[in-house]
Amino acid sequence: MTGSGLPRQSSPRRRRRSQWRGLAYIAPAMALVIVFFIMPVLFTGWMSLHNWPLMGASRWIGFNNYFRMYNDSRFITALNFTAYYTVIVTIAIFSVAFPLAIFVEKERQFVSAYRTIIFLPVVVGLATASLLWVWLANVDSGFIGPALKGLDLVAKSPNLLATFDTAFLTIVVMVVWKIAGFTMIILLTGLQAIPAELNEAARIDGAGRWQRFVHLTLPLMRKTIALALIVSVTGSILAFDQFYIMTAGGPQNKMISVVYYIFNQSFVSFNLGYGAALSIALLAILVAISIVQLWLLRAGEDHP
Amino acid sequence: MIKRLIAATSIATLCLVSGAAAAEKVEMWVRSGIGDAFKKVVEAYNANHENQVVATEVPFSELVQKYATAIAGGQAPDALSMDLIYNPAFAAAGQLEDLTDWAKALPYFNSLSPSHVRLGTYQDRIYGLPLSVETSVFAWNKDLYKKAGLDPEKAPATWDEITANAEKIRALGEDTYGFYFSGGGCGGCMIFTFTPLVWGAGADILSADSKAATLDTPQMRKAVDIYRNMVKKDLVPAGAASDNGANFLTFTNGKIGQQSLGAFAIGTLVTEHPDINFGVTLIPGVEGTPSSFAGGDNFVITKGTKKIDAVKEFLEYVYSVDGQKVMAKYGSLPTRGDIADKVLEGLDPRMQVGLKAIGVAKTPYTLQFNDLINSANGPWASFTNAAIFGDDVDGAFSSAQSEMQSIIDSGQ
Repeated sequence: MTGSGLPRQSSPRRRRRSQWRGLAYIAPAMALVIVFFIMPVLFTGWMSLHNWPLMGASRWIGFNNYFRMYNDSRFITALNFTAYYTVIVTIAIFSVAFPLAIFVEKERQFVSAYRTIIFLPVVVGLATASLLWVWLANVDSGFIGPALKGLDLVAKSPNLLATFDTAFLTIVVMVVWKIAGFTMIILLTGLQAIPAELNEAARIDGAGRWQRFVHLTLPLMRKTIALALIVSVTGSILAFDQFYIMTAGGPQNKMISVVYYIFNQSFVSFNLGYGAALSIALLAILVAISIVQLWLLRAGEDHP
Repeated sequence: MIKRLIAATSIATLCLVSGAAAAEKVEMWVRSGIGDAFKKVVEAYNANHENQVVATEVPFSELVQKYATAIAGGQAPDALSMDLIYNPAFAAAGQLEDLTDWAKALPYFNSLSPSHVRLGTYQDRIYGLPLSVETSVFAWNKDLYKKAGLDPEKAPATWDEITANAEKIRALGEDTYGFYFSGGGCGGCMIFTFTPLVWGAGADILSADSKAATLDTPQMRKAVDIYRNMVKKDLVPAGAASDNGANFLTFTNGKIGQQSLGAFAIGTLVTEHPDINFGVTLIPGVEGTPSSFAGGDNFVITKGTKKIDAVKEFLEYVYSVDGQKVMAKYGSLPTRGDIADKVLEGLDPRMQVGLKAIGVAKTPYTLQFNDLINSANGPWASFTNAAIFGDDVDGAFSSAQSEMQSIIDSGQ
């Protein structure tokens, strides 16, 4: 992490001094990480070994909270749902953001206006966006349902949040609307980092638009795409606000994500200890998935 | 570490407070959506007392976790208007002030609503006293009855009658509906308005000792059928399927023919929607015998508050004839039996129906009320949604029954 592996030519003394200097530079950041990440994680780990009610005294129970997870069907359901949501949403965001990035990359008229418009929802808070969409989706006083009815597309204004399929679709559309602009910006920087000469050369060699995209743009974008995917996957696995606000986990508890389940265990059932154990498990899953993703990225680097 | 932080913050708060004037400011929380009675009694108290009560409304579905986390974080209000069903759990956790001696010294102690005092008592000590008494009742819109050719003065006594009336009212037009209920994700609403259907018929969702889930009964099947049928016939607005309780008072829009409501809604309707001409009766059971939910709020004091005397002064005002009259005017039934007649004197006669409901009403008793019933993700909320709006009624019964039982079993 401190760069000691780099094959630099310098005297040991100077190297040691520059290491200390480097450490001093990152000390404030390290302090933040220790106080706001490492310590809470350690504390959560400590809590997870207790029967820890929100009110009253806690009691040491060893690893019982972890054994409990294996038989907790609601936790397994939440895990499955979160995985399903993550896959769908990641694909959806990516397939909207990539074409948008290509669209706004070229210099054309009003291009900065397009970029701004697409990026605007990103600055809205997720909770605010969720509330906005709850209103949009409202069957009587909202916009979508009454508009569909007004256009005579449906006979009766539909209650989008009342069934799993329509509610899930509404949430996915909301999240894509909210996040795609951010992913677009990431991909845009990747696109702009590709030297124009390469494209030029490929064109002179007779490569068509599609060929250039597949054999030039995509390979060079590999790192950027990986970053966009990692950000999206991590964010989706931690999804909570939209389910809590838009459907309260409904209909019929079919939309309870892992974080939502942790929230319920901690603050509805008041089992802080079990909630802590679930958090540690989720952290382990996140770390594992990120390691796999980073490994896939590295593996590709050796033979581009 | 965290304890020290909490201590530091509370010391800081204390310094701020002791710098203020001699008059005390009592912080109090109240759940939103139960009507105006409490807000109005606070206004009346503040107007002629030196001490002041600052009431903060908290969404009723979040009050329990907000209060519990506030206690854990040392930020709890001095006092709370708490749904009485939660009182035992908080008392058992040792978070509330023991009010036994003071309460028993009140000259009218024995005439305070007994079920409230029962739920406020834990191991023979009293931690909560009645603040508002609430029953569920059935309301119908007389104007819509008239328009639909029904007798507006005739209260329906069976669900067959209610369904038939609902069909006639629905026939009036596009946005006029025969019936409404907050059924999509509001366990608290449904225990309040829907279980009286089975209680009246002698069934219950929990055994008498709260150790067994008894959801799957012929009475409950019948109750579910009644509601399903009305949904299928389009007599209920589509919004009911996703209502989390936010639209509990949809009846006030004047386009709902019939709805089960709390007695508090009588006060809200009378004072805020005087244009709605409505009648009130008891909620019929599936076999006709009416029932009701006896609920409401208890007044609890957070353990360790420095303002306990000011809090007591406020509660004594609430119990005075003046205080009780203000509460009753805005819909809360009298908490003191000895002056009930005096309090309701000159008030809307429909309030008497709410009082009558107390005679047939039930209050479920379980320490796991939130997990089982009130939580939006509990088995009761998801059962009512699945059974009434879903495709698989049998599946809804069996999965809710087994989930309820497993929650009961895991809670020792």
